[in-house]
Amino acid sequence: MVFSDLFFLFVFLPAFIFLYTGARLIDRRLFSGRLECEHPFANAVLVVFSLLFYAWGEPVYVFLMLGCVAVNFFAGKVIASASNHRKIALAAGVTANVAILATFKYTGFFARILADLGIPVGIPSIALPIGISFYVFQSVSYLVDVYRREAPAQRNFFNLLLYISMFPQLIAGPIVRYGSVAAEINSRRASAEDISDGVFRFLIGLGKKVIIANQFSEIADQFLKSDMSNLSTGGAWIGIVAFTFQIYFDFSGYSDMAIGIGRCLGFHFCENFNHPYCSGTITEFWRRWHMSLGSFFRDYVYIPLGGNRAHQFLNIMVVWFLTGLWHGAAWNFILWGLYFGLIVMVEKFAILPYVSRIPRPLLHLYALLLIVVGWGIFYFDDLGRMGVFFHSFFGLSADHWDFVAESAVFDRFWLWIVAILFCMPVRRIVSSLPSRIFGESSAGHVTVALGTRVVVSALILIVSVALLIGATNNAFLYTRF
Amino acid sequence: MNRHIVFLVLIGTLFGVLTVVFVAFPRSTFSELEKRDLATFPDYSHEALFAGNYSRDISAWFSDSEPYRDRFMALHMQIKDGMVLRRSGDDAVTFHAELPGAETEEDVVADDQAGERENRDIADVGQIGANAPAKVASGGIIVAGEIPEVRAMMVYKGEASGGKAWAETVNFYKKTLGSAVNVYCMVIPTPIEYYCPDKVKSRTYRQLPTIRNIYSLLDDSVRAVDVYTILGQHASEPIYFRTDHHWTPLGAYYAAMKFAEVARVPFSTIDRFDVHERQGFVGSMYGYSKDNAVRRSPETFVYYTPKDTLYSTTYRSFTLDSAFHVKSQSATYKGDFFMPNSYKGGSSYSMFMGGDAKVTVVRTSGKTGRRLLIIKDSFGNALPPFLFGSFDEVHVVDHRYFIDNLESYIRTNGVTDVVFVHNIFNAYSLGVAKNIRSILTQKPKRL
Repeated sequence: MVFSDLFFLFVFLPAFIFLYTGARLIDRRLFSGRLECEHPFANAVLVVFSLLFYAWGEPVYVFLMLGCVAVNFFAGKVIASASNHRKIALAAGVTANVAILATFKYTGFFARILADLGIPVGIPSIALPIGISFYVFQSVSYLVDVYRREAPAQRNFFNLLLYISMFPQLIAGPIVRYGSVAAEINSRRASAEDISDGVFRFLIGLGKKVIIANQFSEIADQFLKSDMSNLSTGGAWIGIVAFTFQIYFDFSGYSDMAIGIGRCLGFHFCENFNHPYCSGTITEFWRRWHMSLGSFFRDYVYIPLGGNRAHQFLNIMVVWFLTGLWHGAAWNFILWGLYFGLIVMVEKFAILPYVSRIPRPLLHLYALLLIVVGWGIFYFDDLGRMGVFFHSFFGLSADHWDFVAESAVFDRFWLWIVAILFCMPVRRIVSSLPSRIFGESSAGHVTVALGTRVVVSALILIVSVALLIGATNNAFLYTRF
Repeated sequence: MNRHIVFLVLIGTLFGVLTVVFVAFPRSTFSELEKRDLATFPDYSHEALFAGNYSRDISAWFSDSEPYRDRFMALHMQIKDGMVLRRSGDDAVTFHAELPGAETEEDVVADDQAGERENRDIADVGQIGANAPAKVASGGIIVAGEIPEVRAMMVYKGEASGGKAWAETVNFYKKTLGSAVNVYCMVIPTPIEYYCPDKVKSRTYRQLPTIRNIYSLLDDSVRAVDVYTILGQHASEPIYFRTDHHWTPLGAYYAAMKFAEVARVPFSTIDRFDVHERQGFVGSMYGYSKDNAVRRSPETFVYYTPKDTLYSTTYRSFTLDSAFHVKSQSATYKGDFFMPNSYKGGSSYSMFMGGDAKVTVVRTSGKTGRRLLIIKDSFGNALPPFLFGSFDEVHVVDHRYFIDNLESYIRTNGVTDVVFVHNIFNAYSLGVAKNIRSILTQKPKRL
């Protein structure tokens, strides 16, 4: 199930809201202040709905996830103890998680490599369990945080299951670190302001996905998915820039929805995006794009490897190789990771020391160009098609501009404008306007801010529902990683 | 009251209303807009549940059969329409302008002296609306021109060398049926062949090379019916719907005229028909293209009924399962050939015989001693009325829904002429060619 599915919006979500609210009321009446966990009923509802949410798409693999949680629960117990074996338990636990990921995500890829090298192996076809890349990383985060004594181990299996399986962030992140929500599993508050902000955030995410990303996916596919023999240079650019918008609004929209639902429940998930396309360098881009993945690799791979204290170049390339590989079991993803690894290395010596002296627009242009080229590598898991694409992209096609590219611009003209605007911190600027005009907490400020929020939310909800009816391309991109 | 609570109450109410509409209101079962039955609630099985199909199908059912689906779809298209930047200075539409060069085009008319291979060499004709603005809508459909005269067309991707299996199938019929039965092949181009603006030419292939190829592969004893030329010559008239994927009855009329000429039978010209008009017709291409400009370009649905030819129609109709396989058949019954009261609005094209899933027999007042069998796709539905005066009996069979042995049907009913009436997409299809070949010799299917 995905958040932008009508079944989720109008069956799953209302049922969940109804039962969760009921459970919260019971918890408050019966257990307030009496137990370590203040929300046993609410948490039970959350776990049941999370399992249902996952099983809706993966009725069999839900057991794999349960098994994964069980392994981590016991490993966490040993790691948290004072025994001498805690390091071994950590190593075993992390290895088990990585092995699960490797088996279900990479077996086919590695088998194909061996077959290509002439080693006779069968190529298994294992369907990728949805969200496995995310929940395995969260499991690793749990084990390492417990090992580092940054958070206590869970004594209750269901609480760990809640952390791993929580439906808002289960299938496409953000990769929520255990330490950041451990306390909130037992005790959390959601005020009217939290719920109001959470609902608004959810709707913003829904709009990003349905109104913007889905439309750009149609444009990108029109150029990049079909026969590319007649792809003009303009078409290649329009197609890949459309994908650049699609992937940002798709993924950040999902994160917004996850963070929004979390906020309504009283959880505070980490932010995942900070206007990445406003970056001036690739180094900055990766500090603003999929921040939970970047910080995961920094804290759990880069720094343990020695960070910038020992063989930094190697550490950087290992991290970027893994970043690429995490996104998918195909060469283009590895290439994509290494591409950014190399750029980040070069920037370290050639650009970052002089960044204050280079005009910002120039930097911005430089970063955007490299980002767009990066998405070109990312999009094509068939290297032959990637070659055809870059051939056209760099102006080597027969036609440089055609009507298809032209109609993609003019037929969705206002969409392009909206997308460009919302890549910039427009929302932050606009939402601060009323307080600047009327003064903080004045009646005028409150009325305008409330009116705007209601109108924007209602519009997004109605337009999104209309666009979801008859939509054919509604899957989230990041659920396949 | 706290502003956050006000916000939650207002948005909560809107969300609640939408939830009630989606969950409690009667669900849609048919989309007039998309011309299709909507998804139904899936049947339960353990296998489907464990494979994930059951839950997926429930989601698909829920998102396909919403209450007021067509209204939401209309809003969907309006929103997309709002994203367009309208530019002034685009060329005006020239669809119904005179076809350049049509007058000077050599008419490939059947000529008694032309010998057996008549109609094989089809001349190319000019095009209409070459300068019209165009865009690509959903499903790669080309939408050309401007409101209220846009034309939505499917692109053709067939190779020049295609259609070999089609010619072989037609040849097979001729060989099997022998000299007692005349066999004709009529391959109908689709509108993009005549109305493709220059801008979008690279998106589609020409159909003429495929048609030429098919006709060149027909045995000498098969009679080719070149409707390509006559349709091209009349392309400035409304011979194809702009908003539907079919030709118009007028287009079928010109094709029938050509066919009568090749078959050497009498032909009633259009002044011997009553003209009926329906305003505001928007056909299947709106649903396919999901383009609002198509909805805003309704056209007149014109059909013709014979004035002075007497005829009676009998049907044997089939019921189909969800995979469009024949499930059962009715006994023979009498009915109207034209059913304007049963098929209105966007479904108007189904008024001829009430659609495809039947075998139709029309007995006429003609005294020609000839009996015609039309093997057809839905393009063939509009054709028969123009031939009621030309044959004593007109039998109509849709190749998708025929369960008996066609050869014995032809022999039993004393059919003297068999014509294949299909649009180029079907004539290009290997599967359709195979299917048509098989129905000639198949064992009658038991239901």
